[in-house]
Amino acid sequence: MVDHLFLMLWHALLVSVFFAFLWRRSSRDRLQLFGKAFLIMAVGSVVLGWLMYAVP
Amino acid sequence: MTKDSGRGGGEPDGKKAPPLLLAAAWLVPGIGHWILGKRRRALVFFAVVVCAFATGVTINGELGTPRPGEPFSWLATIACLGNGLLYLVRLAWVNGLSGLLDGLPFGLNGGGDPVSVGFSYGNTFLYTGGLMNLLLVLDVSDIARGEKD
Repeated sequence: MVDHLFLMLWHALLVSVFFAFLWRRSSRDRLQLFGKAFLIMAVGSVVLGWLMYAVP
Repeated sequence: MTKDSGRGGGEPDGKKAPPLLLAAAWLVPGIGHWILGKRRRALVFFAVVVCAFATGVTINGELGTPRPGEPFSWLATIACLGNGLLYLVRLAWVNGLSGLLDGLPFGLNGGGDPVSVGFSYGNTFLYTGGLMNLLLVLDVSDIARGEKD
């Protein structure tokens, strides 16, 4: 339950679903926003995590 | 001026959302949308906020409570207070009903375990759940005023 990656993905999932339903009305638009937001948060966090290796 | 379609494009017409509706929307995530007939959205919002809150509590996150000399604790309190009844029930669970009343405003225990691995993650989930519910209250206000569908 406290696996860092799992928690990050779970958080990204909840937030993506939330904003998809808050900001979009059609199922297609919701799916698009969900996909974009989830990918940006999930992939972006992993990339940022790797980049931070270079920062002492 | 004609009213734009979509979100908030028109001139404000002074119409106010019913305070009771906003209070209900704050207390129970999604109920404002449910009352306004947006049933599907209401269920999703309820599930998302409750899942975020439950995750935060499960992994030993601490609810924000005001502490003297710590201004940021007020921000954490506002964020967590956004969870509505979930926040109040959890505080009552941790402090007991009498402790809840006696501890106001600075003696409340927010629960959680600072040495737990999930502590900061838990806090993040609790803040996120509360902030999402505050956004829902604003959304309900917009819908009730006819600014948004």
